[in-house]
Amino acid sequence: MSEIKIVNATGLACPQPVVLAKQAIEASEHVRVIVDNDTALENVKRMGTKLGCDVKTEKKNDGTFEIDLKRKAGAIVSKDDFDPSCSTTTLSGPFVIVCSEDKMGRGNDELGAVLIRAFMHTIAGQAEKPDVMIFYNTGVKLALQESEVLDDLKELAAEGVEMLVCGTCLNYFEVKDRLGVGVVSNMYDIVGTMSKAGRLINP
Amino acid sequence: MKAQASYYVILFKSVSYALKAEKILKAEKLPHKLIPVPKQISSDCGVCLRFEPAFQDDIKAALTSKVEIEEIRRLIH
Repeated sequence: MSEIKIVNATGLACPQPVVLAKQAIEASEHVRVIVDNDTALENVKRMGTKLGCDVKTEKKNDGTFEIDLKRKAGAIVSKDDFDPSCSTTTLSGPFVIVCSEDKMGRGNDELGAVLIRAFMHTIAGQAEKPDVMIFYNTGVKLALQESEVLDDLKELAAEGVEMLVCGTCLNYFEVKDRLGVGVVSNMYDIVGTMSKAGRLINP
Repeated sequence: MKAQASYYVILFKSVSYALKAEKILKAEKLPHKLIPVPKQISSDCGVCLRFEPAFQDDIKAALTSKVEIEEIRRLIH
């Protein structure tokens, strides 16, 4: 009754972890699933919640995750109401920030210039970093050597954030020689990245 | 790079005071950074100026009687 069924789903590709976890929770009241990637973690958690289990997760030092699924009293685990698809809605594409202006918001330029500095400081300090940042139109000015936010952008770049700076825009403003961070990019890469984005924000 | 150092922040009554103070500090070449007011101080969407302790005296001297300062607070990480 109180025995924990262990499912080791490390090294398995989607949808195997979810399928195994589902079979286990149908048979046992308390299941511990071990997975080794975020996608499996999210999918197993979602399955557990949907089937009416208490879900607890723990990150282990070796990079794996333990997910404890416990059937709630009275919860009926139905055999066919969950589709173990490899949905990765939480991780379906890169997190992209698009800076189309050197300001945040529209209406007052002086205020917008203040806000974008506060925005970059906050993004650089928060745990969830974007995967890619794109700069075009006056947004390219944020990536120049004299930019007020250059230090924040450099910090982000050092942590692996890819920075694409529109070459046409640098050329138009005649500032290509003053680029302080990021790579000179083109419309193909910019549109390609935006099209694949899981989340895209435009401050 | 960040977080190890302790910082001070200067709080102002309004954004325009913060900007005025920043202009003065820039002209005096005193290192500082305009940042959002830390959440532990206020949940308002304000901005303040952050600086390292070493510049405290110079910064205070530069701003005194030019810009109204609400408060100088030490940031504890």
